[in-house]
Amino acid sequence: MRKYADLAIIGIKEHTAYLNSVWANFLAKIVYLYMQYALWTGLFSSNTGKNIPLSQDETIRYIIVATVISTFMECDVIAWINNQIQSGDVANQLIRPLGYRSMIFAKHIGTSIARIMIYTLPLGILISIFYHGELICREQLLYGFLSIILAYLIQFLYSLIIGQMAFWLIVTWPLNMLLAAIYKLLSGSWIPAAMFPRVLTVINMFLPFRAIYGIPVTLITTPMSYESICENILIQLIWLAVLFPVSEAVWIVGKNKLVVQGG
Amino acid sequence: MSIEVNNLTKIYRLKHGQKKLAVDNISFTIPDGEIIGFIGPNGAGKSTTIKMMTGILVPDNGSVSIDGLNFKKNRKEIMMKTGVVFGQKSVLCWDIPVIDSLKLFRDMYRVPNDVYKENMAVFTEILGLDEFINQPPRLLSLGQRMKADLAASLIYNPDILFLDEPTIGIDVLSKERIRQFIKKTNEERHTTIILTTHDVSDIESLCEKMIIIDKGSLIYDGTLPKLKSIYRTTDLEEIIKKIYLAGEEGNAKIC
Repeated sequence: MRKYADLAIIGIKEHTAYLNSVWANFLAKIVYLYMQYALWTGLFSSNTGKNIPLSQDETIRYIIVATVISTFMECDVIAWINNQIQSGDVANQLIRPLGYRSMIFAKHIGTSIARIMIYTLPLGILISIFYHGELICREQLLYGFLSIILAYLIQFLYSLIIGQMAFWLIVTWPLNMLLAAIYKLLSGSWIPAAMFPRVLTVINMFLPFRAIYGIPVTLITTPMSYESICENILIQLIWLAVLFPVSEAVWIVGKNKLVVQGG
Repeated sequence: MSIEVNNLTKIYRLKHGQKKLAVDNISFTIPDGEIIGFIGPNGAGKSTTIKMMTGILVPDNGSVSIDGLNFKKNRKEIMMKTGVVFGQKSVLCWDIPVIDSLKLFRDMYRVPNDVYKENMAVFTEILGLDEFINQPPRLLSLGQRMKADLAASLIYNPDILFLDEPTIGIDVLSKERIRQFIKKTNEERHTTIILTTHDVSDIESLCEKMIIIDKGSLIYDGTLPKLKSIYRTTDLEEIIKKIYLAGEEGNAKIC
């Protein structure tokens, strides 16, 4: 376990190595949250929001919680694997007596811990100072935490699958850009999934994205029946059960196709 | 630990269905505790062979056996006993102090505390590691970074050490210290060392035996004195030039 703890600590140290970048990131999150708040408040007060299926209060709660969760849910795994494969540094990872993916996961956990300490907690404090309404549904908080953990794993596996595709594509940034746009829209990190038109909702049912933000955020902010809670958590478990073997398969095919760049 | 390479082949698939034969059916044996110079012109397939010997690349054909162990069944066991230094790629974490990378390897390879302390003392004495141990690699000179890389690859006392151009771009004095360190490691720990280099003086001062490959094929596997006697000169640089030129003319076989 100690070696994984070391990797997690390295993840923390690497994330905090450049202080200016940490500050810029934190300010960007505050600005983003304020812009989201101003946008939705403006939309509802201009009557354009009368056809929106969520109330103003529900929407604001949703975007605040989604933004807070996004501070630690963000995942650098695709970029890490891409950079390692493009530079050939992946060779240095593959000579270790630990699994490549276990090492990436340990480092990712370290980065997430750093994000929670640096962004999530201060942002939470700022929100508690400026937002005085009831933000979360206390009765469902435990299910919410469970859902966040599942979402975190789904996010990691999704990133791992896309990242590992670089083993034979070498450059995956065009694919990443396309998928990142779809991901941000469909996951519910920008817009509550409940506001999607019917076609988008149907498409989304067959993609894992809403299991990353839509489900945990709704579980935390919106009261629902016990059956609905179980149904949502079951959807996340199904996506985990689908993505895990897919990531294994991509790894097995990918490592055989690997070409280490450079001499 | 000895290494046995049998009929090793690697083909790279290029665009439009084209293929490149990077390593062509090579076989050789490296006995326990020897320093072998593994050389060849640019693009000869050295790095590809080393990457297959270290389990990074999967061969298309053939096998690599390390003390009877193979990567399919005993990957972790082999990795625990193997150290690799790529001159052009650092094994250290770029943005964090060198000491943190060393501690990571200590835990990763389960190095007992007394061995770790003993090794650190040796690295400090010979490589001057204490001068830059608290700095991240991005702030180090090339020579310092290479010394730190060597320390990171030897902190767990590997039985086999692969050195891929360990002295590339390094000044004369640092080169000499690194060579002394490699020699001392081989003599005291009986570490099997496979050295890839374009620097003839690295080979002269360290290697007894040489393996030469060209265009993916093995063209020489023998001792340095034997190679000199074949070409009737002691000038190794001249010999290597002749071998590479013969390779360009399609007549690469030495013996």
